[in-house]
Amino acid sequence: MNYFYSYFLFESDLQKHSPILNLVRKVVRDKSEVIYVGESSNITFKEDDLDKRIISDIIKDDFPNKKFGSLTHPATHAGIFYQLLRNIPEKSSVKTIIVTMNLRSFDAEWIFSTLETPLQKSMVLLRDYPPLINRFMLSFRDYDIKTDKEREKQFKSKWEYEILKFPKPFKYKNVIQWDVDLCLSGIRNADSSYNDALTQLACGYVKTYAFQIVVKTNPRIKDFDKIVSLAKEKNWNLVFNLLAENVEKADELVGKELTILMKQNRDLLVERYHKNGVIVVDNLEKVHDSEFIDKNWTTEHYAENGRKIIAKNVSKALKRVFEK
Amino acid sequence: MLFNSINFLLFFPIVAILFYVLPHKFRWLHLLIASCIFYMFFIPEYILILIGIILIDFLAAIYIDKSEQKNKKKYLIISILATVLLLFYFKYFNFFTQNLHDFFALFGVNFNNKVHDIILPIGLSFHTFQSLSYVIEVYRGNQKAERHFGIYSLYVLFFPQLVTGPIERPQNLLTQLREKIKLNYSNLAQGFRLIIFGLFIKMVVADNLGEYVNMIYKEPEIYNSLSILIGLFFYSFQIYCDFFGYSTIAVGSALVLGYKLMDNFKNPYFSKSIGEFWQRWHISLSTWFRDYVYFSLGGNKVKIPRWSINILIVFVLSGFWHGANWTFILWGVLHGIIYLLESLFNRFIKIKAVTNQVVNAIISFFKVLKTFVLISFIWILFRAENLEKVQLILKSLVSNFNLKDDFLIDSKIWIFLGFFILLDSILFNNRFDLWCKTKNVFLRWSVYSVMIFLIILFSNVENFPFIYFQF
Repeated sequence: MNYFYSYFLFESDLQKHSPILNLVRKVVRDKSEVIYVGESSNITFKEDDLDKRIISDIIKDDFPNKKFGSLTHPATHAGIFYQLLRNIPEKSSVKTIIVTMNLRSFDAEWIFSTLETPLQKSMVLLRDYPPLINRFMLSFRDYDIKTDKEREKQFKSKWEYEILKFPKPFKYKNVIQWDVDLCLSGIRNADSSYNDALTQLACGYVKTYAFQIVVKTNPRIKDFDKIVSLAKEKNWNLVFNLLAENVEKADELVGKELTILMKQNRDLLVERYHKNGVIVVDNLEKVHDSEFIDKNWTTEHYAENGRKIIAKNVSKALKRVFEK
Repeated sequence: MLFNSINFLLFFPIVAILFYVLPHKFRWLHLLIASCIFYMFFIPEYILILIGIILIDFLAAIYIDKSEQKNKKKYLIISILATVLLLFYFKYFNFFTQNLHDFFALFGVNFNNKVHDIILPIGLSFHTFQSLSYVIEVYRGNQKAERHFGIYSLYVLFFPQLVTGPIERPQNLLTQLREKIKLNYSNLAQGFRLIIFGLFIKMVVADNLGEYVNMIYKEPEIYNSLSILIGLFFYSFQIYCDFFGYSTIAVGSALVLGYKLMDNFKNPYFSKSIGEFWQRWHISLSTWFRDYVYFSLGGNKVKIPRWSINILIVFVLSGFWHGANWTFILWGVLHGIIYLLESLFNRFIKIKAVTNQVVNAIISFFKVLKTFVLISFIWILFRAENLEKVQLILKSLVSNFNLKDDFLIDSKIWIFLGFFILLDSILFNNRFDLWCKTKNVFLRWSVYSVMIFLIILFSNVENFPFIYFQF
């Protein structure tokens, strides 16, 4: 039955349920030596950019002798990156991996995102078992299925029960308190009227960045740890590209308490993975507000200069890797 | 826990093995714990709501049993009110406040409605009805009040039928829960047959149809009339296979453990009238309404105008039971009206019986077809999220004759549907497990193998929760 399935049906199931695997197949087929693994930050550009190339393509400029490939899929995170990287066969040309590290992906709203169910589903057929077993697991929904409402409940519960710790006393204990108060007081215009759009954006910043990574429980840490182990096992050079966030805007709209949390989390990640022998490129504060494309929401979508700054920093790190 | 999940495939054999290994006196506890685990896979804290319902009705029944006649009614009313209030709070509160808001808005009054942001506990309407059934039966003197809190809790929580029924009567299930069950090959074989059959019709037929139904109901305006019509008929089979599948797995799982639950479906789409449809569709609910509402209102022992009102009340309540939405109420009303028209027609207009068998068969065929088409159209109200969507579907259906669309149905869908219709015809007034019993080993195992093969390789993997979970 496994033979029958593998021969006649597996490929069409893969194309239907896990088309993301085609990205892996492409980098293997192209004999890529360096792979850039990322999400929407590596597919977006601004309409009026003169140079519309994505980050991974800009990095290539500095290494004309290396074959670059990219595994880019929107709304993905380290858990998915790990599954994709696992599917790179032993005998590939891959030597170096650059993995996007998105600070937001450590936050409850992303961890319990409604996109998680389809993402998890797309990974089932890529597991290490025989294809028939994987199909069986997929048929019987062996992945984290939750409704949108259930997921919403999960991250809202995190916002409510996770106590935020600040170096100095601060009036809000959790995200909910902070968010509600900020929404009520609001961001004011020059004439002191309530600016609805900016207030929503400020609240968005609080909900997105007001968290503290708990190493023991944060699933994203586990995902990155697994990537580190996998890289060691496969003898790959590993670079984590910690993406830039709009720290300037966060400071302007919400205040330094929020940026303190962002920087604390950054420090934790950089320190943790440096200790693990990974080069972490710290771009957190490297891109100015003007270089962020989305003005009404928190994203890591950069205009031309922003992408170039990040690419340049990654290139520097890669040079160190190749010099070794 | 979902029946069509890997969790259940691991959970159920363990529960069944332990059940037969344990001495009889511990089995109720074992099943109760298993049922709690089963339920807590959804939203763990909601088990407290169930415990609340159990406690209210358990105590009420004891008081009813002990009291003198005049006080019995008082306890019955307290029990019904408390149980219905819980149901109201979780299921109907937002609907009522929203409608009050809309009503007051007509007069320019701002009714400040607060929307409760809560997830409806899965199967709440089922537990409440099963629990109410017990209290009413105790009140009527048909059932002794259960003094063992654990056994009574198991009656409400019994995991095979916990979330979408069948809604059992205490005379059937509660009595069986006290019986000493012996391991019986016939029960095991029949139970597993039903589980395979249920999984097949849910995962292969219902879920594959669901993909196309979702397309049509999402954006009916971009599909042509024929595609919409196919989508409507697909939904009829989707909801049938989905609910019938769940009930069959429930009956099968209980049978493996030695308990016999009632059948919830008997080939409903072969009904020649709406009246017959309701004797074949969701039987545990329709008999619940018949026994506890319709008979309480006077049944058919009243004059025709009053009887008509009673029928309408029952159907409206049945619609409202399904969901807090005007679409469900209208769905009930339409069924009620057609039921009344059919009944009155049969009562007042006598048609000569045809003796020719061929002519009879043709007439029967057209009656079945008419009923199926009517039901399929009324299902629009059941499936659409709101009345605006119903309008849009009907408008698109009658106006998009020449629209070109890309509604391409995979040929395997037709094969699965055809296979199911063939099975449903073969199983007319029969049950899959009993039908299998009469067949030779070769045919039996061929059917099982095909079903298992299709379940593993062709079940739709999109997340289609059991439709009746929302009720």
